[in-house]
Amino acid sequence: MAGNMLALTVAVFPLHGGDVRAPSAVFDQIFEVFLLLGTAVGVVVVAYTMYHALKYRDDGGESDPYADKVERPQMGEKPTGGSGGRKVFYSFSISAVIVVSLIAWTYSQLLYIEQGPDPAQTDALEIDVEGYRFGWDFIYPNGHTTNTLYVPQDRVVRLQVTSTDVFHNFGIPELRVKTDAVPGQYTSAWFTANETGTYTAKCYELCGSGHSLMTTEVTVMPQDEYEDWYAQTEGTNETVEGSNETATATETDQRIAADAPALGGAPA
Amino acid sequence: MSQDHEHGLPPKSSVSRWFLTTNHKDIGVLYLITALFFLLFGGVLALLFRLELISSGADLLGSMGYNQAVSTHGLLMVFWFISPFAFGFANYVVPLQIGADDLAFPRLNALSYWLYLFSGILMGVSFFQGTTFAGGWTMYAPLNTPAYIPGEGLGATSVVLALIMFTAAVTLGSVNFLTTMYRMRAEGLRMRDIPIFSLSINLTVWMMLFAFAALLAALMILASDHILGTTYFQYSIDGTTMATDADNPGASLLWAHLFWFFGHPEVYIVFFPALGVMAECFQTFTGRRLVGRKWFIISMVLVALQSFVVWMHHMFLTGINLPIKTIFMATTIGISLPFDLMVFSLIYTMAKGRVRFTTPFLFSLGALILFIIGGITGVFLGAIVLDYQFRGTYWVVAHFHYVMVSGATALFGGLYYWYPKITGKMYNERLGKIHFGVYFLGFNLLYFPMFIAWETPRRVFVYPEGLQIWHSMATVGGFILGASFLIMFYNLFVSLWRGEDVGPNPWEYATSAEWAVSSPPPLENFPGIPSYATGKLEFLDDETVAERTESTPGAAAHGHAATDGGTATDGGAVTARAAVTATEMEPAHEVGGEEHASHASFWPFLISLAGFITFLGLSGVRTGSVFYLSLAAVGGLGTFGSLLGMTRELFHAPEMAIAERWPFERVEKMKLGMWTFLASDIVLFGAFIGSYAFVRVAYGWTAWHHDLIPAEHVTMPGLINTYLLLTSSFLVVIAMVAAERESKRGTVAALVGTFALGVGFLINKGLEWQHLFHISTESFPNGWTLSTNIASSTFYLTTGLHGAHVTIGLIICAYMTVRAWNGAYQGDDRAIEYFGLYWHFVDIVWLFLFPLFYIL
Repeated sequence: MAGNMLALTVAVFPLHGGDVRAPSAVFDQIFEVFLLLGTAVGVVVVAYTMYHALKYRDDGGESDPYADKVERPQMGEKPTGGSGGRKVFYSFSISAVIVVSLIAWTYSQLLYIEQGPDPAQTDALEIDVEGYRFGWDFIYPNGHTTNTLYVPQDRVVRLQVTSTDVFHNFGIPELRVKTDAVPGQYTSAWFTANETGTYTAKCYELCGSGHSLMTTEVTVMPQDEYEDWYAQTEGTNETVEGSNETATATETDQRIAADAPALGGAPA
Repeated sequence: MSQDHEHGLPPKSSVSRWFLTTNHKDIGVLYLITALFFLLFGGVLALLFRLELISSGADLLGSMGYNQAVSTHGLLMVFWFISPFAFGFANYVVPLQIGADDLAFPRLNALSYWLYLFSGILMGVSFFQGTTFAGGWTMYAPLNTPAYIPGEGLGATSVVLALIMFTAAVTLGSVNFLTTMYRMRAEGLRMRDIPIFSLSINLTVWMMLFAFAALLAALMILASDHILGTTYFQYSIDGTTMATDADNPGASLLWAHLFWFFGHPEVYIVFFPALGVMAECFQTFTGRRLVGRKWFIISMVLVALQSFVVWMHHMFLTGINLPIKTIFMATTIGISLPFDLMVFSLIYTMAKGRVRFTTPFLFSLGALILFIIGGITGVFLGAIVLDYQFRGTYWVVAHFHYVMVSGATALFGGLYYWYPKITGKMYNERLGKIHFGVYFLGFNLLYFPMFIAWETPRRVFVYPEGLQIWHSMATVGGFILGASFLIMFYNLFVSLWRGEDVGPNPWEYATSAEWAVSSPPPLENFPGIPSYATGKLEFLDDETVAERTESTPGAAAHGHAATDGGTATDGGAVTARAAVTATEMEPAHEVGGEEHASHASFWPFLISLAGFITFLGLSGVRTGSVFYLSLAAVGGLGTFGSLLGMTRELFHAPEMAIAERWPFERVEKMKLGMWTFLASDIVLFGAFIGSYAFVRVAYGWTAWHHDLIPAEHVTMPGLINTYLLLTSSFLVVIAMVAAERESKRGTVAALVGTFALGVGFLINKGLEWQHLFHISTESFPNGWTLSTNIASSTFYLTTGLHGAHVTIGLIICAYMTVRAWNGAYQGDDRAIEYFGLYWHFVDIVWLFLFPLFYIL
């Protein structure tokens, strides 16, 4: 029975202790690589362009220094291509390889962001987010609703986002989580915060006169503080218990399924 | 051919010429000047909100003022400045480059221009109707519907109507340019041989033809939501707030799909002409032919095709699934690669060249460098993980300004490049270079800090203090960029008097045909019919032409002088373009070269003015105000009357006696125009039908029947109408056969029959609608009207659009019946054939609508 209680607590607030790679880390890594390579490619190509422009600039002399190498276009000729197409192909191929391999490299990271971390260690805290003009409602599993977001440190938080009026977009820039809030449907996104503190959530889709001010606080608390806060949140006890029970049941199922391979069972 | 021989057209110094002219060069100049005006308009708005952003907060414009400024800045620059500016050059230069004396349909060309101008005026008027549109240039739903627009919202409705009018202008222009380029090229010029600027315009108009049709559908639906009260873009129809249990769950995303299906090709529509200008300037000022020209062209064709399959990369966060995201990521990266090739092609064109740093070349080279930066920062957005975080931030703003305004940079180069051709005077080179220097500095100071301050959300006036330095820098850059244009306007204006006179070709190594004639070129462009048959540009004299057209029967047949007559467009009627339909052929005059072409018509101006009044009226009819209602009525009558006037006007636009016409040698000008128009109409209906399917699937395909449609909506009226329309199509064929056999009585009888069946269709439909409007059942106590639910909205609007097509067909049919009664068409059934094409098309559409709205 005691063991059951322990499992229950962990299932409600399972922590990953900072093991889960946060979306912000994924973003930072890709962005850094892109910035470095992008700057390098930009500098090289622009320099190469300028080199050509300056090297072949007309010195105003009477004679054409390349008269024996290239033919100059004539008035009234039918348009044709100039010589030197092979170089175009080489340069194009190099640039294509860079672009395609960069994007292909990010694709595996995209899969991680799309699917989220392995559920075994990280059962997510599910919070519904409803955007409205001009603020946000955060609805916790026990039915409690707030206008600023409270989440525990080191826990995966999964957001189900929608809107009750126009098209919004919910994003917490420092935590690198963002998704559209579309009326009539839900979109989902996840994040995890490894540091406690206060962050800002913003609206990223023009939604009317209050759009610029449609921001709210996101508070990341230490685990125990969060638990205290969560325990005293408003709402009837029944709602709290009811939703805890269902959450526990499904989350325990998931844990068992996920643990199965480790225990020698068939992969779920 | 000299300046004093202008065929009834007043001289350029006379104001009336500019209202009458249908000549492509005059209209090109009108486009350029008007577009520059809208550059100032959009630019001043940008300076206003840049001033607002010099520090955080909305202390200058207020929050709604700020939203209006950013929204209309975007709309004005994208729609009313950059493309029309490019089409100023296209109008002026393309006919010259391909060897045509004008566009295929000169009056339609004038009509395009006037519709464009008046659409811009309507946009301007919207500022004085309370507030103008404030929902961003992407106009996301449901913020774009009246429910979320403060006040009466008439300004926002005017903006939507102005965009419809603009789209009508674009569609007419696309049809016109395509017909011109496929029917009027100089002999020996295959499509791949036409100069690169003309080629870029060709691909641009192809994209326009289809992309703007999708936009037109979106705008017509939105206008209907505003004016008629349909509910396509409202997700909650009875006004209750709800999260997901919506009456129309597909509302928001329907707009996003329609808009971006247009919006992404639009990026290339804006950029391609600029690319064409860059390639022209690079060739001329390096003295080298474009390296890898063939691959350059293939790349452009690939981009034009692929541009229609990348739109969802604007919607990566809307909850689309991973496979679709992956596909769109791949197409997006795929479409960037051809641009790499084009960039390198331009770079290598400089190799072994004799590069002269004239003003046009500086702007072209500057544009290339800016485009490289825009392209690289675009690859960042192709990585979806990065895209998620860049969504809605200044990264996107900076990136697309580097791309779009680099396009504008190239176009300013084009302005300097063709200025001597258009005016006959040389601009001041030193001032031109100073302009470039200030422009380039201002540009980078404006847009580059936006990359550094990229964490700022788009369209907000509040940002963290740490970013203020970058925003202030951008504001300073914006003013420098703006000021650089004072130098340009001064230079170009003063050079009209003080500039040196130039001969036909001021640029060494220019090759295309516009440089082979005087500056400015004479009204008829060329001293004879241009030909590249020998591989070099030559002008065939009248004798040679006469000899050749006599000896080759094929060429003689092409020598028909067809008229531009009767290509009626409604420009202002309820469905902004449904009426474009060609019918009248004045008796063809057989001799090609001898006859004088017409260059003047007042009707395009009148039609557009009346259309403008109609639309202004429509913007306010929902208030029930007498002022707006009478404007709409007067404008509507005026539009109809002036359309009729244009149809009845004699106007000659002879086809070239000798021309390259592949692949449409056997498709006459009018027929080709009709086919092209119908192609865009297919996309229009496709978008309507697609919208219907989309919202219905989002609601639940089968639940739709149970919840939303009354039992009184039965199949029978639709079935009867199917028979009526099919029979009427058959009668049009009989009318053609009768005309061919020169049976006047048969022709008239068959046309009358067609008309009667069409009227029967409309009466039957009217009875059906009346019944449905007034049913009173338990589920629908107040009838089943346009605003009842999303099913009724889709039903009435889609079949209503079809009904409008039928009505327009009937008007034409009535007109033709009268003409047939007076003896027209006997032995020449072409006009009936063109009408038939339209009529059969309308029938075929019904064959799709009937099962979708009555059976499935």
